Amino acid sequence: MKNRLLPTVLFALGVLFLFFPILIVAPMSFSGDRFLGFPPKSWGLIWYEAYFSDPVWLAATWRSLRVAAVSALIATLAGTAAVVGLSRFSSRWRAGFTGLMLAPAIVPNVIIALGIFMLALRFGSTDSEVTLIFAHAAVGLPFVVMIVGAAYRQTDPTLEKAARVFGAGPLRAFWTATVPPLVPAIAAAFIFAFFVSFDELVIALFLMGGSETLPVRIWNDLRFEINPTIAAISTFFVIVTALAMGLAEFLRARATRRQGNN
Amino acid sequence: MRFSRRFPLVPALVLVLAMFAVPVAFVFVEAAFAPEFSLAHFERFFTRSVYLTVYWNTLFVSATVASICLLIGYPMALFIVSQPVRRRPLLLFLVLVPLWMSILVRTYAWMVVLGREGIVNSALQWTGIIDQPLTLMFTTGSVYVAMVQILLPIMVVTCYSAMTEIDPGLVRAARVCGASPFAAFRRVFLPLSLEGALTGWSVIFILSMGFFIVPALVGGRRDVLLGNMIVNQIAQANWGFAAAMAIVLLVSTVVLLAFVRLVAARFLYSPREA
Repeated sequence: MKNRLLPTVLFALGVLFLFFPILIVAPMSFSGDRFLGFPPKSWGLIWYEAYFSDPVWLAATWRSLRVAAVSALIATLAGTAAVVGLSRFSSRWRAGFTGLMLAPAIVPNVIIALGIFMLALRFGSTDSEVTLIFAHAAVGLPFVVMIVGAAYRQTDPTLEKAARVFGAGPLRAFWTATVPPLVPAIAAAFIFAFFVSFDELVIALFLMGGSETLPVRIWNDLRFEINPTIAAISTFFVIVTALAMGLAEFLRARATRRQGNN
Repeated sequence: MRFSRRFPLVPALVLVLAMFAVPVAFVFVEAAFAPEFSLAHFERFFTRSVYLTVYWNTLFVSATVASICLLIGYPMALFIVSQPVRRRPLLLFLVLVPLWMSILVRTYAWMVVLGREGIVNSALQWTGIIDQPLTLMFTTGSVYVAMVQILLPIMVVTCYSAMTEIDPGLVRAARVCGASPFAAFRRVFLPLSLEGALTGWSVIFILSMGFFIVPALVGGRRDVLLGNMIVNQIAQANWGFAAAMAIVLLVSTVVLLAFVRLVAARFLYSPREA
């Protein structure tokens, strides 16, 4: 008995440690006090009101959502196409290109940010959402290549060949035979790439100057005071993220299960 | 025809080259040419004790955080693997959920928890254990706590996926042949899962080397990491020096990991082949 209880308790403690921040932040966000204290003395939605009525916070939020959506779209399209393209190279070239595609996930963002910022200064393209979108797309690309690549390796290449044999053109064969089983993985990859961009701080911090994204706004705020508005924003986005990631995980799990049945 | 078949790779390749490879190459150039070739920035970095202290501190903190994550994460992964297959996804899900919270938000939570007026201090004062608030924020300890909390899920997942690859029949065989449960674990399961553990350690080490949010927000003056110095130098428009530090960061990470792999290959894996 003792042998089974102890590991369970230790695991539960580990999980509790991991959940600790959100268990703290969520109640704080419903505090009705002017100042941060725990537990809150009164309850209310004043910090949510503060967030949803502040044009600076809202502008940063919309900018982040916009940048994340477009950069995730670019990363997903380019990454999915790349997975298909990579399969047509000899193994040595494939390994090299795959390494290059995955590298942005390994090299610290600070270094990428510095390089992009210095180049952008030279070309006068700082403070530009377009530059930021492409930079985030490059950082999100490795995750798309990993997620879609794993699903692609499990697909059956004879399907596409069969479509060709029955007279479909290369594009049509690809679109009707290869893409459908990949859709859940592609959707999951999009959601991952979205959150890579949505959370990214350091590239946006250097590049964007006056027009802050949400992480930059939070960062600038946190350095001077601990503002309960951030608790409200955090809780709000943890809920949104949990829903989105739950969906991504569900799609991914369904994709692997479906392929496992074949 | 040959090119058109390989064309799908082109957009991603252009993206990676333009927004990653060229910028990183440009960092190398900026660090060593100002405007002519010179290693002055590197010399400055490696001869001033201020920078060297931060450099060693970054290596030390990253290795420590990775090791703490391994010590906590490996047993957690082991626990999940020891459970019935049907229950595993839920347990793994519990470990992964915190990963969806942005690093900024999780750091903010630790600021709330550890601050002077924070939860730990309020609780301790309320129960009468202490009279004066303890200084928990802006200490090295708070940096470790926050970094481990942020990176631990990655370790658990890496160890877990390595452990699921191990054939449970091997452990059973060891038991049948008379090994005690502990001996079966140590002689069979542990060596087979070490590579996954090492991968987890390496990933966390890499990620820690680039950290700057946590030390900047919950660390004190002495907890500055290389990432913070790079950000500060960029803020002061010292491009060349910032670039040189970025190169030192990148190269030390790569060299150290290559070294760890080499040592591991030498001492961990060779007995298995023998």
